[in-house]
Amino acid sequence: MTSEIAPGPDGLDLPDGQLVRSRVESDPAVPLAAALDRSLTGYAVFEPQDALLLDDEGAGVVTFEDGVPRSATHTGTGAGGPDALADLAAPGPYDVELRELRGDALAALDDPGRRVSPGLVADRLAGDPGLAERTRAAAPDAWTDDAESGGESGSLDAVEAFLDDEQKVEAIRDRAREEAKERAAEWGLDGELE
Amino acid sequence: MVEAFAVASGKGGTGKTTTTVALGMALADEYDVTIVDADTGMANLLFHTGLADADVTLHDLLVADERDDIAVEDAVYERHGMSVVPCGTGLAAFEAADPERLRAVVAALAEDTDVLLLDSPAALGSKSAVLPVVLADRVVVVLQPTIPALSDGLKVQEYAHSYGTDTAGVLFNKVHDPDEAAGVAEKTERYFDGPTLATVPDADAARAARREGRPLLAHAPDSPAASAYREAAANLDVRAGESGDVADRFRSAVVPDAP
Repeated sequence: MTSEIAPGPDGLDLPDGQLVRSRVESDPAVPLAAALDRSLTGYAVFEPQDALLLDDEGAGVVTFEDGVPRSATHTGTGAGGPDALADLAAPGPYDVELRELRGDALAALDDPGRRVSPGLVADRLAGDPGLAERTRAAAPDAWTDDAESGGESGSLDAVEAFLDDEQKVEAIRDRAREEAKERAAEWGLDGELE
Repeated sequence: MVEAFAVASGKGGTGKTTTTVALGMALADEYDVTIVDADTGMANLLFHTGLADADVTLHDLLVADERDDIAVEDAVYERHGMSVVPCGTGLAAFEAADPERLRAVVAALAEDTDVLLLDSPAALGSKSAVLPVVLADRVVVVLQPTIPALSDGLKVQEYAHSYGTDTAGVLFNKVHDPDEAAGVAEKTERYFDGPTLATVPDADAARAARREGRPLLAHAPDSPAASAYREAAANLDVRAGESGDVADRFRSAVVPDAP
């Protein structure tokens, strides 16, 4: 998967690094917690399985330093930072890869314009305040201070932007309706569908 | 007169059980209320209502043939002004449970109450998880102002509508800054059929209540969160149906018991 996104349309050129985890995840909190627990230095690639359906081709790349998210990029839209997370939001599941990099390889990728505050990915992408808190606690204070001085903390702008994207919301609803019908048949509940 | 509501979210950690108990207690001022822990795989209503030692639970009613001596009323406990049907926490009991039997339990409970609140599982991936939404007349969708919670909430609504279960409203829960979240709540209304019943602030009181095994409305009735839940209950337009109709509807779907 990495070779498909490197170099990406936004010029991302990711070294392969070492693959340490590759799974389909319905809850983005799981790989984020895995990265935190193993103090991953490297990056994660999140590819929504509904990407084509949602007309949002591309993947999200989150870099980590010692398990804490440092930056986010959406390879389809080219957005960076908090906006990348809004572009990536989908009901899931995601194909997720965690890759480990040497610290100097990660430093070469650093772009202050794509930074995210330590807890933001857990908050925005996973909706998991507990994990966000745990991640903030693991981060150097300076990282949190950086984000707050940038005015990012506590903002619900990305959530409002998501709700303003009627096409995306409709795609989520359409997919859910189809899924409900498919599963009703599997469970013998199709006689109760409207 | 009975109306059955599924309290659902599609995502864990949104505070569905706290919401179910709080709405139940607030509605109990006006109605006969029964709350049911329909989250049979991850039951925790018993911990919220001081019923951790309950002898008979919903699990016992869902296990076919094992305990024929048990009647539905044996799993009903009068607590905090309402009837509470807790579920056990044993994995073995969950695995032995037949989700289809929930229909018969709900039908029996519907005969004797005004408002039935089904605390529903935080998932849509199995028959037992979806059944409460199928059985309910309407769904109360519990949201948080985050993208994952909103997209999962949208998914719950579409599942519900697919089964003819309407949306009674949405409730924003565990909100850090209700003023800041007002814009999100307003934009959310475009996509959900019901109104925003309330925005409940994140509260230490709710966590403290949970630790003590008491409902929030009993532990901290004057807290802002408790007030918001009462407001949600007041905004919920309970529709007085004919009890016979509803009971018949459930009955018609009941799988006959083995002789």
